[in-house]
Amino acid sequence: MTPAGSLLVAEALHKSFGQTHALDGVDFSIHPGEVVAVMGPSGSGKSTLLHCLAGIVLPDSGTVRYGDHEVTGMNDAQRSALRRADFGFVFQFGQLVPELTCLENVALPLRLNGVKRKEAQRHAREWLERLEVEDTGGKRPGEVSGGQGQRVAVARALAARPRVIFADEPTGALDSLNGERVMTLLTDAARDTNAAVVLVTHEARVAAYSDREIVVRDGKVKDMLAGLR
Amino acid sequence: MTLLGPRTRNGPAGPGGPSAAPGEAAVSGSPPAGPAVWARDLVTGLRFAAGGGREGWIRTALTAVGVGLGVAVLLLGSSVPSLIDSWHGREKARENLGQANPPRPADDTLLYAHADTRYHHQNIRGRLVEPDGKHPPKPPGVAALPAPGTMLVSPRLKELLDSPDGTALRERLPYRVVGTVGDAGLQGPAELTFLAGSSALDERLGADRIDHFGLEFVQRPLRAPAVVLVIMTCVALLTPVMVFIGTSVRFGNERRELRLAALRLVGADIRTTRRIAAGETLLGSLAGLVLGAGFFLGGRQFASLVTLWDINVFPSDITPDPVLAALIAVLVPSAAVLVTLFAQRGVTVEPLGVVRSRPPVRRRLWWRPLVPLAGAGLLLTVSRDAGQVDSALNTTRLAVGATLLLLGVTALLPWLVDAVVRRLHGGPVPWQLATRRLQLHSGAATRAVAGITVAVAGAIAVHMTFTGMQAGFAASYARNGRPVVEMTGGTEGWEQTRQALAVLRGTEGVSRADGALESSVSAAGDPGRLMEGSDFRMVDGVFATVADCAGLARLAEIGSCRDGDVFRTDNLPDDTFATPGARLNLDPPEGFRPTRPPQVWTLPATTRTVRAKTADDGLPARGILITPSAVDVHRMHRPLLHLTVRYDPAAPDAVERIRTAAARINPSMAVVSLAENRHDGQYDSLRTGLFLGAVVTLLLIGAGLVISTVEQLYEHRRLLSVLDAFGTRRRTLGWSVLWQTAIPVALGLVLAVGSGLALGSLLLWLIDSAVFVDWPVVAAMAGAGAGVILLVTVASLPPLWRMMRPDGLRTE
Repeated sequence: MTPAGSLLVAEALHKSFGQTHALDGVDFSIHPGEVVAVMGPSGSGKSTLLHCLAGIVLPDSGTVRYGDHEVTGMNDAQRSALRRADFGFVFQFGQLVPELTCLENVALPLRLNGVKRKEAQRHAREWLERLEVEDTGGKRPGEVSGGQGQRVAVARALAARPRVIFADEPTGALDSLNGERVMTLLTDAARDTNAAVVLVTHEARVAAYSDREIVVRDGKVKDMLAGLR
Repeated sequence: MTLLGPRTRNGPAGPGGPSAAPGEAAVSGSPPAGPAVWARDLVTGLRFAAGGGREGWIRTALTAVGVGLGVAVLLLGSSVPSLIDSWHGREKARENLGQANPPRPADDTLLYAHADTRYHHQNIRGRLVEPDGKHPPKPPGVAALPAPGTMLVSPRLKELLDSPDGTALRERLPYRVVGTVGDAGLQGPAELTFLAGSSALDERLGADRIDHFGLEFVQRPLRAPAVVLVIMTCVALLTPVMVFIGTSVRFGNERRELRLAALRLVGADIRTTRRIAAGETLLGSLAGLVLGAGFFLGGRQFASLVTLWDINVFPSDITPDPVLAALIAVLVPSAAVLVTLFAQRGVTVEPLGVVRSRPPVRRRLWWRPLVPLAGAGLLLTVSRDAGQVDSALNTTRLAVGATLLLLGVTALLPWLVDAVVRRLHGGPVPWQLATRRLQLHSGAATRAVAGITVAVAGAIAVHMTFTGMQAGFAASYARNGRPVVEMTGGTEGWEQTRQALAVLRGTEGVSRADGALESSVSAAGDPGRLMEGSDFRMVDGVFATVADCAGLARLAEIGSCRDGDVFRTDNLPDDTFATPGARLNLDPPEGFRPTRPPQVWTLPATTRTVRAKTADDGLPARGILITPSAVDVHRMHRPLLHLTVRYDPAAPDAVERIRTAAARINPSMAVVSLAENRHDGQYDSLRTGLFLGAVVTLLLIGAGLVISTVEQLYEHRRLLSVLDAFGTRRRTLGWSVLWQTAIPVALGLVLAVGSGLALGSLLLWLIDSAVFVDWPVVAAMAGAGAGVILLVTVASLPPLWRMMRPDGLRTE
């Protein structure tokens, strides 16, 4: 059953890598403005689920629907266009383009969407201010701290006003203080823009920022609130 | 293992064995050093290279190819002197035209004459022999001299004669083929040559009597311009090879550094890691040495297929100097190892990773133009002393100047790339990604492009030099080349000249033929004088020309003329001995010949002085002009027959028919077509070779660029995956790769064209030739550079697509 009003829905996802079943009949859904934490031990299939939901990889079977669109039925170019326009990403190590300044990194998704450079940089500057790293705009990623870099990465994920943000261990490389600040900024900004957040983490304190938690284990998903409903 | 130095000294640390006490390693001082430790570390590196997995093998293979090419090029370069010596040596060993102090006829002498000809723009060397006795000398490559009417031919001439293309040549060489000349008698395998037996050779017709074959061969150093060309070619070829080696040894650097960090973790010191890294390169270098020897030995087997500047040699002629070969065997692999160590400067391998201590280099301009300017300065100072260009000092200055000018370009390029990309802002995303990457990491691209720059600059300069020289010849032929064939040779007398003119006038395509006999006369009673320190006798002479009235009218305004008349031109010196009534010697006592009784002839008192005309060769006629009945030509010493034949240029194969007619008149006659530019073929072959060499070099550099680009992509694979996750279009990243290659290559080509034109202009100025830019070649080189950009981009796309996969996003 698909929960009513869901923005992104996955049903019966299967994905194997050789003999390993990364996903084994996974169902998932998320509403606009909702933050869902995907938890689980290493190698449980969390990242694979995120990649399938984002259309980065295709499942072996099962469907992923985004609004009225079936992501699993799209070709590569269509999925790329979807990711450019509607999705945002935050990764564990930020993964900023080292050659570009922080401001240019934040402006990059907008520019990939065809926004003019000055307009894109104006928006990017606003997001840097909101993420409290406006002074890093002219610096390259190698010249800022890990916490600052991760905030820049969050700003980049939010700059194109995505409807879904995929965050894969966004605080994994940060100390607890910086991690908490990044999570606060990320979830606040997402809720302000009514964006859904798929948050992959194995840390309970990070998952605490979510509205709902699911646990992936051996390729299967357990919704932690299911029993309470 | 040497990685844990103190423990190694104390033996293995296994259970029950002697072991160092805790902390002993830290306090025992510096780790062991010395040749044994060095050797062990190098061997460890060798083992890593051999067992280092796929990227280790790729690096080893690429290094081996680079070193192999370098070794092969250098071996070829070091073979040039021996190649030239062998080529010249064989020519000298088989020759003895015009033997000094000719012998009297004997059992072991023979008459020997040249019978060279040219057939469809190819030179054919011909020699005629007529033994005086039963034991004549034999040239190398000949077991027995051919009997009259038969000939020995070179294998390539036999092929030509047997082919349909050789029909007209068979008419010209009316000898039966009875065998082939051996390799020792050939200058090269592609030479067209024959040795024919004759029974009609006559010293008056140009034959020499000789008693041996072989001329003294004095090995001379290469002329200065040749040295410059060889050095420039080697520099232009070797720089890209060194760049390729530099790129190869860096392949898989990231993984190697991780491995070295792991070694540091277990106790290896920094020097040890560097030695191990050098050892890893050593395997590729040693394999490259073997490969280079293979390239060289295999490549020289194709030597017979190549003719450059009319030089074609046997594979065995291409033999490197042993000392140079030994130096190459040591220096090239060492250079590869040094490049590895050089690449690690500023990189400190720590136990937990690699620290790059080198701050971003701000490239300064001030010293960079000094290198090419010093080169240009050296060339300019040489040009002021152009008269002594062949002196050792000038040769060195030329070679060093040209090399500095070429290599100076590589010093300018990094600054130029930096200066330009620093100013590039904005633009579309692919452009921005490319320019920003170049702003941060232009080193690899600049290194590779430096190779292109040197190769293209060198090729343009050498091309320009040859084109300028060729254009000079072409202009000269355009100015002076006329549909005229000039012939010179010995003659038996005026009657033969008359018959020769009749034959030529009857040849299809001939519009006019004139002839004259030329000799010199001296004052009767003048004994001449010996040259100091020599048996050679010289005498003051005046030129005497024997021809019919029509022939003499071409040389001077003779007015009325009858057979028996004699004239003298009005441009003889005032104090000349050739005055009317003077007694002249028709056989002047000159040369090595023993003095003979004078052949006295009186210049008639009726001799008229006439105004000289300018002859066809642009020089005014000068001397005594004699009609045939006025003198007995047989009393003259070896008068020279000079025939001038005009032909209709529209008549097909007219020149070939004239040559065949000339061979029938006297096979020893020298025949020259004034319209045929012989230099065109020589220059064309050289320029084609150069262009092919430049293209191959560019391809090599392209391969190096592909390696460094793919390597860079591999190092950025996680980032590529992230960009893919964002939905970045493939073409966006494809274009960024294109721009990343195109910007430095374009800058390199601009610099190369500029410096190539400058160097070419200087070299042309040096040889006093008009500066002529071969724009099609410049355009072709630029086009080849553009091709390299496309090649690198296209070859980089598949790995780029592969790396834009989510695998790179995995962190677990």
